[in-house]
Amino acid sequence: MKLILSSSNIMISGETIIRHPTEKSNVELINSLRTNFQAAQHAADPSSDRPPYTTWTKQGDNALYIPATDFAHGLSEERSQYDITVKLFYLPGIPASRRCAHTREAIDLVLKELHVDSIDLLIVSFPGILFDADDDSDEEVSSDNGSEEPDDFDSMIQTWRTLEGLQEQGMISQLGVAEFGSERLARFLPHTKVKPSVDQINLKDCCVVPKSLILYAKQEHIQLLTHNDCMDILPVGTTRDLLGPGEKGAGILASSPDAPDGIQGDIEPQWVVKYTAVVKDRGVVENKGYFALADVGSCVKRS
Amino acid sequence: MGLLALGTALDWPEAKKRADQVRKWGIEQLLANWHRAKGKERNALLWGDEVEYLVVAVDDESKKARLSLAQADILKSLAEDEASWKEGTSPLSQNKEHEGEEPPHFHPEFGRFMLEATPGKPWGIDFKDLLKVESNMKWRREVAKAHMAPNESPITLTTFPRLGTKDDYIQPYYPPSGPALRSQFVPDEIANPHIRFPTLAANIRSRRGRKIELNVPVYKDSNTPDPFLDPTVDYDLHNWPEDDDVRNGAAKEGHVYMDAMAFGMGSCCLQITFQAKNMTEGRKLYDQLSPLGPILLALTAATPIYKGFLVDTDVRWNQISGAVDDRTREELGELPLKNDRWRIPKSRYASNSTYISQDPRLRKEYLDPDLIVDQDIKKRLMDDGMDDLLATHFAHLFIRDPLVIFSEDLEELDLNKADHFENLQSTNWQHMRFKPPPPDKDDIGWRVEFRSMEIQMTDFENAAFSIFIVLVTRAILSFDLNFYIPIQRTTENMETAHLRNAVLEQKFYFRKDPFSRRRPNQQSPGGSNVSSTTSSAHNTPPPSPPLSPVESEYDLMTISDIINGSPDGSFPGLIPLVESYLNSVNVDVETRCSLASYLDLIRKRANGTLWTGAKWIREFVASHPGYKHDSAVSEEICYDLVKAVDEMTVKEGKHGTVGWELLRGKKN
Repeated sequence: MKLILSSSNIMISGETIIRHPTEKSNVELINSLRTNFQAAQHAADPSSDRPPYTTWTKQGDNALYIPATDFAHGLSEERSQYDITVKLFYLPGIPASRRCAHTREAIDLVLKELHVDSIDLLIVSFPGILFDADDDSDEEVSSDNGSEEPDDFDSMIQTWRTLEGLQEQGMISQLGVAEFGSERLARFLPHTKVKPSVDQINLKDCCVVPKSLILYAKQEHIQLLTHNDCMDILPVGTTRDLLGPGEKGAGILASSPDAPDGIQGDIEPQWVVKYTAVVKDRGVVENKGYFALADVGSCVKRS
Repeated sequence: MGLLALGTALDWPEAKKRADQVRKWGIEQLLANWHRAKGKERNALLWGDEVEYLVVAVDDESKKARLSLAQADILKSLAEDEASWKEGTSPLSQNKEHEGEEPPHFHPEFGRFMLEATPGKPWGIDFKDLLKVESNMKWRREVAKAHMAPNESPITLTTFPRLGTKDDYIQPYYPPSGPALRSQFVPDEIANPHIRFPTLAANIRSRRGRKIELNVPVYKDSNTPDPFLDPTVDYDLHNWPEDDDVRNGAAKEGHVYMDAMAFGMGSCCLQITFQAKNMTEGRKLYDQLSPLGPILLALTAATPIYKGFLVDTDVRWNQISGAVDDRTREELGELPLKNDRWRIPKSRYASNSTYISQDPRLRKEYLDPDLIVDQDIKKRLMDDGMDDLLATHFAHLFIRDPLVIFSEDLEELDLNKADHFENLQSTNWQHMRFKPPPPDKDDIGWRVEFRSMEIQMTDFENAAFSIFIVLVTRAILSFDLNFYIPIQRTTENMETAHLRNAVLEQKFYFRKDPFSRRRPNQQSPGGSNVSSTTSSAHNTPPPSPPLSPVESEYDLMTISDIINGSPDGSFPGLIPLVESYLNSVNVDVETRCSLASYLDLIRKRANGTLWTGAKWIREFVASHPGYKHDSAVSEEICYDLVKAVDEMTVKEGKHGTVGWELLRGKKN
């Protein structure tokens, strides 16, 4: 079964997104999901600490929406007033072959949530790429458990074909990548029909951007943007904590795959998508939120 | 400083007779304009900064720095150049760095030794625009300097350290004690000769019934005489009836005494004006920025010297307030009310006293219970459909008398103009100003002006504070932040901000929780009120839990807590809020790095790593070999200080150069 987690508009519950320097950088995602779950629980039954999840989630098409959402509110002004940026995180350990479907799935949710039929910029974040500002050689690292292959270059190209297709259909105006160093960009570009117009990099210590990247990006008309998202945005353990029976959990999943205290089975986060709608000529962030999708069941793991 | 129409300016007794007519006409103009403009929508964020300069001439031979009264000549030469600019023949238009940019605008100010400069066209929110602000400010300084005599410079000190001393601190020299100011310290020639300015000064004095009276506590150093009696006061002057003021105790022991509008209105400020998307957003920004006024005043503190003495306050605000205080003894509460209508608690130049946003979060406990309002005017406004809050605001501003009236303007009421309205509006110098669109400019929307900041010595700092405030407004609107506190607490904070080193040593009232508690799935904050400008002030709010006592909503906090967040995480801090905002929008690397250096300056000013301008000037004086620890700032110290400040505007404290303590925090 699919679990579709949503944060709703996190701008109106602002405190969840203020990160204290000591906290991990996926705190915005985790806190905003948790806050939205709690709000839905409270709305379903103000008198109970934890109403049964069936009262505040919604089931349909082999998917469980956590919390239930009716996609009732779109943006308040007409589409042309906004810049809509979507960042899609493909998660580590998930076969690249699923990305085509995942991309559609994620973008459809965002379009539905914002009541729009296109987005301005889609940035994709491939797992396992770490931009290193110090030596300008982006390296590939394996994720937490070290069990899978580094994302290989061919699969990125494969994924990019999907994105180019969506761009062609007019669903996306511009495409972008994240954490690409100049070498990777140089390898990547010749294989693209639609060039990325954005490369988003994480500047931990601001202002140490390799000269070669700046020059190359300028030459290729690629805008270098900043972000502060973390690499492994939604690890398995975190997901189980978030949805499990524990004190801070939502009371949906069992505490372990075969425990009797909730939905049983392995949990496997598939992707996370972040969307922001900014009123163009006023710089006001009107809507920002996340969707995350996880599979739960007995055979979600890759053999 | 507004429009400078020409005409026959009325002396006070005449002006007083016409005051009611000007007020009435002003209100009619306001109503006409309000009806026209209240539905204006979807105006972009445009904003502008105003930088003010002192024109200082240095005399290297005699080691003297003097204020130069060359404003008119400089402006004339600037205007000529602007004309040749448009033809492309000006050498300054060849500057490649600013190709394609509109030439900056220069404006006269009250002081004849002052200049004001604004960007050639307003800034937008395109983040690349933010990068242009600092270089544009530097460009303005260069252009201004290019139109001055070789020994003159535009200096961004708030006040000239030796304005009003016994020596020749101005050039050309004029003796004090003229008919308009009647000051024993400054000549009438200190003010802009345009009829508006001497009339303003004379009518304030006349309405008030005596000269204005400024007493700033002297900074008591080890060799400062005790008791301290301002040695520059002349008790034997007999040119004007007002010369009796000092014999009647106007100069207070332990204080530096000043007696003219120039001591206040001759100060330089950094003011920022924003265009809001519509009236609703403008009213919200007016309210939410108001509690930040005193915080930014303390953070930009740069005014530790008056009339040649170190003083015990750090900022200019109350001196300007006193310098244009036209209240009579009755209005001040010194005599029983007989001829005047009200006792008025504040000067026309003061922290603001109203909240105006139709915001369900605005509790009536936040409003000033003692607000003075002209009930007839309020009724007129409400009868014509204006809501209570806005009508109260304008009926409060209109308790004042118009000070400068031109008889030509009283012949016919023109509802397509705003001159009478502006007469009152622009002489209410509160720390926030809510500005209706000008009736004759269709492309301009509702605007809000943030007025409390002190000018900083370098353009890097001025750009940093301007951009910080812009980013704070975007965070306020994006997160729908709530900074409401009872407005009297803001008034108290304004006083607190004056204390020496208030930025590090004082605490300020601030709201503990800036976030609005709202249910998810509720309408978004950004644009839910698209057409609510005509709706009633009291929409029925959804049922909500009972509110906690107002006193529990705010606390005393340090500036560092307010800016950087409290150590225990209970208050998030304005900088983390701005960073969260920046993390939610697409910002390119170069811009983000520049913004980081600006935010870093603010962060470090707040936590004490970097000095304020006030602290740096104090230390400069204290460590000067010519300083005798008697609070006196001599001509020699003043000369060296001006030279140091001039150098700082170029070298900006890099590599241990002068000013590193307030700009970099380290010597290399």
